[in-house]
Amino acid sequence: MFQSVDAVVTGLSSQSYICNKNVATVVYLGTQLQKPILVEGPAGVGKTELGKVLAGALGMELIRLQCYEGLDEAKSLYEWEYAKQLLYTQILKDKIGEVLQGTQTLQEAVECIANQDGVFFSDRFLLPRSLLKALLADQPSVLLIDEVDKSDAEFEAFLLEVLSDFQITVPEIGTLKAKHIPLVVLTSNNSRELSDALKRRCLHLYLDFPDSEREMEIIKLKIPGVGDQLGREVVQLLHRVRKLDLKKTPSISETLDWVKALTLLNAKQLDGELVEQTLSTLMKYEADIRKAHQELKAYLAERKARQGPSAGDSDKDHLH
Amino acid sequence: MEDRIIEFANVLRRNGVRVSLSENMDAFRALEVIGIQDPYLFRNALRTTLIKRSSDVKPFEELFDFFFMGIGQAIDALDRRIMEELGLTPEQFQRLLEQIQKLLKEMEGELSPLTRALLTGNQGELERLLRDAANQQWEAGSPNRFRLTPYTLMAAGLQLDRVQTEIERFKSMLQMLAESGEDLSNVMRYLDERMRDLNKLLREIIQQEQRKRAVEPSDPSQRGSFADKSFSFYTEDDIRRMNEAVTRLAQRLKNRLSVRRKKAARGRFNVKATLRRNLQYGGVPFHIELDRRKKTKPQVMILCDISDSVLNASRFMLQFVYSVQDLYAKVRSFVFVSDIGEVTKLFEEHEIHHAVQTALKGEVIDVFSHSNFGRAFELFFKNYFAAVTSRTTVLIIGDGRNNYNRPNEWVLREIQQKAKQLIWLNPESRMTWGVGDSEMPRYLPYCDVTEECRNINQLYKVVDLIVP
Repeated sequence: MFQSVDAVVTGLSSQSYICNKNVATVVYLGTQLQKPILVEGPAGVGKTELGKVLAGALGMELIRLQCYEGLDEAKSLYEWEYAKQLLYTQILKDKIGEVLQGTQTLQEAVECIANQDGVFFSDRFLLPRSLLKALLADQPSVLLIDEVDKSDAEFEAFLLEVLSDFQITVPEIGTLKAKHIPLVVLTSNNSRELSDALKRRCLHLYLDFPDSEREMEIIKLKIPGVGDQLGREVVQLLHRVRKLDLKKTPSISETLDWVKALTLLNAKQLDGELVEQTLSTLMKYEADIRKAHQELKAYLAERKARQGPSAGDSDKDHLH
Repeated sequence: MEDRIIEFANVLRRNGVRVSLSENMDAFRALEVIGIQDPYLFRNALRTTLIKRSSDVKPFEELFDFFFMGIGQAIDALDRRIMEELGLTPEQFQRLLEQIQKLLKEMEGELSPLTRALLTGNQGELERLLRDAANQQWEAGSPNRFRLTPYTLMAAGLQLDRVQTEIERFKSMLQMLAESGEDLSNVMRYLDERMRDLNKLLREIIQQEQRKRAVEPSDPSQRGSFADKSFSFYTEDDIRRMNEAVTRLAQRLKNRLSVRRKKAARGRFNVKATLRRNLQYGGVPFHIELDRRKKTKPQVMILCDISDSVLNASRFMLQFVYSVQDLYAKVRSFVFVSDIGEVTKLFEEHEIHHAVQTALKGEVIDVFSHSNFGRAFELFFKNYFAAVTSRTTVLIIGDGRNNYNRPNEWVLREIQQKAKQLIWLNPESRMTWGVGDSEMPRYLPYCDVTEECRNINQLYKVVDLIVP
């Protein structure tokens, strides 16, 4: 476990995840108070990644539960392994015959089997799904419940019980208590408002797009080959683009893709043609790309004005 | 400190942020872990435990600033101003404070804590004294029989006159010292400034307290009447509340949909699928597969009259339909007064409130002309009738006041024959339908459903009608 807020920052950065003190405080509190952390924010700011790197930094196993519409207990908690049960009864037919040998009537036989049915409904035939796995793990683990807003309201209500008591009741076996309370990270894209009851049980963390400096840091960390000027210009342009009214704002992961593409093409700085060819890695909608283009033109014009005519010449050199 | 946190939670609640008891306890536990030394961590800890909606973050930041920082910042600013006024560097200022401290010791007689804190520049103590006085002031509920201003009351509570005499006394002592040759002009000026500062701080803290307590908790008894209040009498405030109500309504319907989805998997027994699924168990049917009931998502076309008379009803209907858009296969919206214009695209590209506002502002069609239903219907028939299919629900919102123009009810007949259903919502009372220039009696025969839609309760009812 982390010892202090600063330890969180260093721990996460050792996993190549740059976070500010705000994030670190929440994570630290989450580990100390053993409360789930609910991470909200726009798509692609590193919500899921936070769960993953937490597991890495703490050296714990990551157990992930992807939520979707129609997800229910059977798929998230446990299932009986019918096939295995069937196989065992087939193989053990002789043995069962032996057990039943002494019995005279049907009544007695049923009674006899009933005494033994604990064998068939035991941990052995229980197929644990993510939630149960996280509770029963021998080592403390990180449970990542991804996109919890995509699940139904009923599943959310069911989750409440698991997250507050960290125990699950299986009718045939009894109540299973968590061996270690897992560190729970829930992420939400806010496609619907989560219930207050769930929110109350969680620490809330709102992740937003990073500021220019931090984004620059992230780019440098993830793509070591990127040139200083290119990185700076990309970040400047992105901050302008994000202010536009877009269908989908470019996220950090898309930014990284784009910078990677630009670096592969050996760009030292942004220029119109190159961006035009690669912009599709950053933007996913035609209308967005068009808007971004205009912004880019404005940006390049401004840059030209700033740098004077000499910069314009070097632009040309670069093109050929 | 506990008191302060609880008070802070109360202030949040008064400003519309929901803070539960368990969240409050979390905040305490978090502070036990984090400590209160680092203001940044302190703020983060409170934010993560108390604030659970991103829309609440902004009020939190503002309230936090002026609850925990407010007066402290003001004191800081005043210190800086004095330094500027006297032309001192921070070090010189510090020396001045030390000098005063020494002089104060020489002075006989007991000093009140407020004077001491004020003169020696003890910010923490000064803030505490002022805050305590303010709290006493407000908690006592101030009987205020004499219509005294809060300022007068606070001044009395803090014994401001005593501070004044003490400072005067101090000054006269300094005067004597000055006559014996010491240079104390800076000290004298400092004292004058300080006295003025105290007044300023007092005003500041009164303002803050008033702001803090300004927002009254909403009165639950008003809710019921709100649901029955007619759209036409809505104030700005009502519209804001209505927006919330519509959002809640949309959420409720979406939740209901998820229940329906479960029911959808309870059709008839499907032999083929069951056999296939259970092949792995040697054909023993462990998992039963049922036919999925097909649900057909309706298509909706909304025609909203956006002339002044029905503006609010149209606004909420548009807003509602767009909040639950994923319940429908296709939604197309039109607004009309005497022209008709499609706003579907506008809604897709813009955030909902902005889009509704733009649609109603008259950027799509001229909103200042006189209502002409007949013409609008005719234009609809000409341009968009092809889009009406047997699965379409056509929803018209309007009062049917046609200014004695041609009603063109044949368009409705055509629509009714082709569409799944035709619903007309009228924001006027049923009694007035057909009175004056209202053409409702002519339109009525062609509508499958006609409803009054004058308040939120009726809107709820209508929504049940159009959502499958």
